[in-house]
Amino acid sequence: MKKKHWILIILLILISPLFGVVLADMVGYHEPLDVAAEKLGLKDISDEINWSPFYDYSVPGLDPITGYIVSGFIGIGIIYLIGLLIQRIAGKKR
Amino acid sequence: MHIPDGFLDSTWSIATYIVSVTYIGYAIKKAEITKNLERLSLLTVLAAGIFAAQMLNWPLPGGTSLHFVGGALAGILLGPLLGSLTLALVVTIQCLVFHDGGITALGANILNMAIIDVLVGYAIYKIVLKALGPSTKTRFIGGFLGGWLGITLAGITCGVEIGLSPSFPYGVYITVPVMGLWHLALGVIEGIITGMVVSYLSTKNPNVIFSER
Repeated sequence: MKKKHWILIILLILISPLFGVVLADMVGYHEPLDVAAEKLGLKDISDEINWSPFYDYSVPGLDPITGYIVSGFIGIGIIYLIGLLIQRIAGKKR
Repeated sequence: MHIPDGFLDSTWSIATYIVSVTYIGYAIKKAEITKNLERLSLLTVLAAGIFAAQMLNWPLPGGTSLHFVGGALAGILLGPLLGSLTLALVVTIQCLVFHDGGITALGANILNMAIIDVLVGYAIYKIVLKALGPSTKTRFIGGFLGGWLGITLAGITCGVEIGLSPSFPYGVYITVPVMGLWHLALGVIEGIITGMVVSYLSTKNPNVIFSER
């Protein structure tokens, strides 16, 4: 795929904290199913069994906005590497 | 749409894992991804794009949000098998790396977003194009209806899963209408985005709509 597609994806990641962090804080956003659980008195056990240092798109030691951006790059980086790996395997099979 | 841990009981957790693993295993085998580098390249970019787009949560007053899911778009562009693999990759990374969606609910989340949404979106698009013929306008209509109804059906399935889980205090008679109506309303935006992207690509780069080849 063309370079411009990756540039567009990078731009999306760079502006994502505006929506995922800044506006979310302004309106007091929570994941819809979390809101339902809270109203029903259900216990979300995600915190208790968390295994990820990047929980909820945060990065330890970074402020929420920077952490959100870094998380975005980590995510697309992993996807890119998996795609690259499969392409290498496919190339060898040919 | 991402079900967290603690919502599904073990029966539903295991059942949805079995369905999702079986389908994704079938898709990996049948799609022969290693034989088609062009589609594999699109799969990678599309997965990255959908991952980034899902980070753009549009918070709504009242404390909830809306974000693009992209299942129907992936199905329309890559076909049902590769479309499902694209979304399964995104949802799995979101869960394992960012704990977005529970590990006990990963099977259900893949079933809803990577299977139901993709298959429904793809099927509706194909039906619309077959009925109305291919044009920029009909591709928009097909993409719109596919995106809209795909996410609505996925929401209804999510409602069934949590409604039938004894952990959730309300039954399906509450969860299905709530999830279904909520996604029916907000899914209009998903439909508009899907329709616009598909119709735009059909004029600028029609080769990437593999489901029409």
